[in-house]
Amino acid sequence: MPVLMAHTRRDVEVHRFPMLVYALVPLVALVLQAWLPRVLGRFAWFDLPLVVTVYFALGRQSPIQGTLLGAALGIFQDALTQHAIGINGIAKTVVGFLAASLGVRIDVENHTIRVVLTFLLSLIASVLYVFVFQILLGLSLAWAPLTELLRALGNTVIALVLFPLLDRFKISD
Amino acid sequence: METFFARYRNLVVLLAVLVVQILGLAMQVHQTDSGRMSMDRHDGRGVRLLRLWAEALVSPPERIFHATSQGIAGLWENYIDLRHVREQNRQLAQTVDRLRLEQAALLEDARQGQRLQGLLHFQEKYIYKTLAAQIIGTSGSPQSHVVYLDKGAAEGLARDMAVITPDGIVGKVREVFPHSAQVLLMNDQTSGAGVILETTRIRGILRGNAAGQPQVVNIMADNRIKPGEKVLTAGGDEIYPRGLPVGVVEKVVPDPERDSYIHVIVKPAVALDRLDEVLVITSTEPRFPPEQQQDMATSETLKGAEVQAEEAQKKASEIMAERLPGLIDPKLPPEQQPLLDSTPPPPVAHTPLPTHPDRFTPGADPAPESSTGNATSQSPNTPQRRNP
Repeated sequence: MPVLMAHTRRDVEVHRFPMLVYALVPLVALVLQAWLPRVLGRFAWFDLPLVVTVYFALGRQSPIQGTLLGAALGIFQDALTQHAIGINGIAKTVVGFLAASLGVRIDVENHTIRVVLTFLLSLIASVLYVFVFQILLGLSLAWAPLTELLRALGNTVIALVLFPLLDRFKISD
Repeated sequence: METFFARYRNLVVLLAVLVVQILGLAMQVHQTDSGRMSMDRHDGRGVRLLRLWAEALVSPPERIFHATSQGIAGLWENYIDLRHVREQNRQLAQTVDRLRLEQAALLEDARQGQRLQGLLHFQEKYIYKTLAAQIIGTSGSPQSHVVYLDKGAAEGLARDMAVITPDGIVGKVREVFPHSAQVLLMNDQTSGAGVILETTRIRGILRGNAAGQPQVVNIMADNRIKPGEKVLTAGGDEIYPRGLPVGVVEKVVPDPERDSYIHVIVKPAVALDRLDEVLVITSTEPRFPPEQQQDMATSETLKGAEVQAEEAQKKASEIMAERLPGLIDPKLPPEQQPLLDSTPPPPVAHTPLPTHPDRFTPGADPAPESSTGNATSQSPNTPQRRNP
């Protein structure tokens, strides 16, 4: 598994970005996530904050940072809905942690792996969301698995475009 | 201990963040009387503060995006028009371009003007006081059908106000911020509106399903419900005034959880995913036009005069009763006074009148012969001898 596994810790390059990118990219993702469904209607099959969480968590390879970023973006998203605050928060916290933990073990320079991971983590986020909503809180929620699959695909397509774009802002050592 | 935390630092942080969020969630839900879990109707102070921060952070860029997108859309349309004109006549390109640009801008203005005029016309005619607002954003979550308005508490909006368009209902104001407001659309799963089917008069509760379609729930299976039937607000929920259009019945599906119950899928009267301007009902006190107000005032005056006349008549009859000789007998005790006797008077026997009265008829005038002295010796049945 030479592609999937980084041989030693030294092989893994930790991505660093200017502070402005750390501040602006999540904010823009949140704003666009709130605004684009107005334009696209029910075809807004994506979750930009999730894609951004996965990108930074994979790049930074710090589970703590991934956890905190996921939690912050998720809580922010929850605050814009009428639902309880913490549902998206928990889902994205776990996703941020998983992405960062995986980032340590895999070759994050490989674009294909990052995109596939985005797809899988999107599905995990959807499952966690439903789990928290229905099982943990005991609230009723009707959900369509096909829509969740389409959203994971949408996230993957966005990751295909966004990840190389954000890679340009990396600070090289 | 230090080694343990150093070793499992990542997991400890993850667990801490998760526990904090789970505790936060636990404080936002409660168990209802029916044993079901439900979200608190109104947010706590902390939650509201979070929502306020999130809204304050997202709303200004959203407004900019909204304004920019409209500008870009206008520019794009102009560009298309420009190319079209250039192809048609290159010699007059500059003149036509300018005219086209102006025309496109005016057309866009006219369209918006027409839309707003329609809204204003409805607003003026509508019986309740309303406030026009623009939609500037959404929640961004597919499970949450929520939009944001560009008007808030400063403009007079409050929670639970109905949001409508001239076509029908949109939703209700769920949360109000200083200069914006969160609207829960009628197709959300947590939404609820009392509705009535126009023809069959069947009542139910309207809420969204997983696909984001509004549906009327808690209805017993009834084969009278047909696609195309209009659905109106029932007015019992204290949010939506009665009789507003909601949509039309699209189809009827069985309730997957309960036998003999059905869900009526409704095609909304309003295109909920393409909304631009809406009206918020800020007061449910009926508002009447000046002519109608004058009519009502006249009616009230006439009614007052009528009441006054009746009172004067009553007073006059009381004075008359006092002046007339009384039927009170001073010798009798009060309970035996004839005026106080409540027993019904004895029925008066009416003797039926004969159709052709003759001399045998009781009470009839006696015959001339019977007036003589020997009349008493004759039997009434004795035939009388006729004189020739």
